[in-house]
Amino acid sequence: MPSPFPSFKSKEALQALFRPSSVAVIGASTAPEKLGYQIFKNLLDAGFPGKVHPINPKAPEILGCPCYSNIDAVPDQVDLAVIIIPAPLVADTIRRCGGRGVKGAIVISGGFSETGPEGEVMQEQLVEAAQESKMAVIGPNCQGVNNPHHPLCASWPLLTRRGPVAVISQSGTVGAALMDWASQEELGVSTFVSLGNRADVDEADLIHYFAQDPNTETIAIYMEGVKVAPKFLEAVRQCQKPLVILKAGRTPKGRKAAESHTRSLAGRDEVYEGVFRQFSVHRANDLEQLYDFSKALSYLPRLKGPRLLIVTSSGGSAILATDVAEMTGLDVASLPDQVAQRLREVLPKHCIVGNPLDLTGDATAQMYRQVVEAAASHFDAIALIFGDPIPGASEVVGRDPLQLVIYLGGAEVERQERLLFHRKGIPVFPTPERGIQALSHLL
Amino acid sequence: MALALGRAIQEGRNLLEPEAYELLASYGVSVPPHKLVSSAEEAEAAATEIGYPVVTKIVSPDILHKTEAGGVLLNLNDAASVKAAYGQITEHARQGKAAVRGVLISRMAPPGTEVIVGLTQDLQFGPVMMFGLGGIFVEVYQDVSFRLIPLAERDAAAMIHEIKAFPLLQGVRGKKPADLKALTHLLLKVSQIAQENPEISEMDLNPVLVYEKGLSVVDARVLLHQRAPTA
Repeated sequence: MPSPFPSFKSKEALQALFRPSSVAVIGASTAPEKLGYQIFKNLLDAGFPGKVHPINPKAPEILGCPCYSNIDAVPDQVDLAVIIIPAPLVADTIRRCGGRGVKGAIVISGGFSETGPEGEVMQEQLVEAAQESKMAVIGPNCQGVNNPHHPLCASWPLLTRRGPVAVISQSGTVGAALMDWASQEELGVSTFVSLGNRADVDEADLIHYFAQDPNTETIAIYMEGVKVAPKFLEAVRQCQKPLVILKAGRTPKGRKAAESHTRSLAGRDEVYEGVFRQFSVHRANDLEQLYDFSKALSYLPRLKGPRLLIVTSSGGSAILATDVAEMTGLDVASLPDQVAQRLREVLPKHCIVGNPLDLTGDATAQMYRQVVEAAASHFDAIALIFGDPIPGASEVVGRDPLQLVIYLGGAEVERQERLLFHRKGIPVFPTPERGIQALSHLL
Repeated sequence: MALALGRAIQEGRNLLEPEAYELLASYGVSVPPHKLVSSAEEAEAAATEIGYPVVTKIVSPDILHKTEAGGVLLNLNDAASVKAAYGQITEHARQGKAAVRGVLISRMAPPGTEVIVGLTQDLQFGPVMMFGLGGIFVEVYQDVSFRLIPLAERDAAAMIHEIKAFPLLQGVRGKKPADLKALTHLLLKVSQIAQENPEISEMDLNPVLVYEKGLSVVDARVLLHQRAPTA
């Protein structure tokens, strides 16, 4: 029986948080070491397209912007308030914001339910204030929101790379690390949301929202437990996009740590395992998998079958790849005779023609192209392992059949090629195991 | 609602084993031939009717774990041992100050692959179904799979396939493969029972013996959500 659960936050309510026209930073600071300064500066530096108002009763201006003593003093309409002030002041501030027509708030401040009974009371007051004012609130105790497509960097560090993955995290750092990796690889994210204590907006609201967000292909979530199970399940049921979840707190002590971190009830891990399988959620076992699976699911098509050809310049890498492939349900099927014959004619004698197909250390990009051309119609996917500095690799890889690129041991050439691949929208994986593991999630 | 369930709810207690059997049978789940008796003479007559070998089990609302309470005697082959068994287990129960509702005589099921099918309550997700292989596989290796109810057929099949001990069900060392179709069907039935009877909080079918063809639920425990008995 479907239990009644609180309805999802509306698109309009959440848009105030992710695509506001104007922002007030309540608790903006002139001191560079303070978050109130960094967030304000990141909003400006990321190029927020509307007005950003600093609010601080003690400063006349911050970074050249006139400072207001409180929200009522701001002359213009404000959509979003970013709040970085001591916990006891937050509920009243939200109420004042509501009175001024502010539609949403991101509460960075900690000191709420994560600290004990007193904080819990303040969090309840925060929720009451938000409900009275009909405001959507993210946090408290969070690292903010970064939507590079707007752009809105109400968070830290300053990252502006746009991409297709929505990152939703109960831990600010975990989410920021993911975003940082994506940025370094020139891939980027669609939006980063740090959930914090989830006093109001929770992961189910965000799955529901990003399932309809045109910039998002895949939703990646770090969580310590679901907040309201029936609401979460309904969001997952409705979501047509791939959902990758890293759920921490698998062991009894890990669960205990999760309880004190964000007051999450982690529940039994085996039950989560069953639920994720039942609802086709891609479960990541660690942070790297959360990153890799989201990357594969965003940039590569689904596999039509399990038949995989592995082409390599490195014998060892191909064995590692074969092991993972066999363990994850992929089929390293033997090379058809006519393909093998044809390849023996065109490839140098010392190449080992089989599956894996080892072009050996002096492989050229051209040889990879020859293999793909000859074998394409016989396999569902071809894993191309560039295990040496092979220039021009990014020139020879196409999309039919699915070609999975693994590049390692190539030093400077590899780093250049990786960026060239990524600019073409072809993801590159850094080790055979990580690449093949991600590929198996396209089955 | 199954009659047995109505009675237990009325009396504010969990299901007695014959009632659990009745509930399962009313959904078409196969349970061994059985009879509830209340004297040694009735026990003997029931055993003759059912056919040897038989099992005797204490029936008491106060005894949840029958084996531990000395309430189960297996593999009885003649009238004398059935009569003796009746005396022994009822005496045991009375010493433990348990209310005795009778003794269940049931046909001793032939050996098969032991599996466990259960329904438990998860703190967050509510009623969840559990499946695993009996004995050390569940207790030591915690080799179990879970799904939320209601189960779709593919969920039931996946629950069976994803346990690590699955190859044992496919038949190893000359053993014939277990009837996976019957097992899938059982999981779906238990899901349906739980779905249609939300008063049930927990079910523990342990063990279920799976054969090359068919299966038998040898022991069944059905607990109801705690609440005050209705007048």
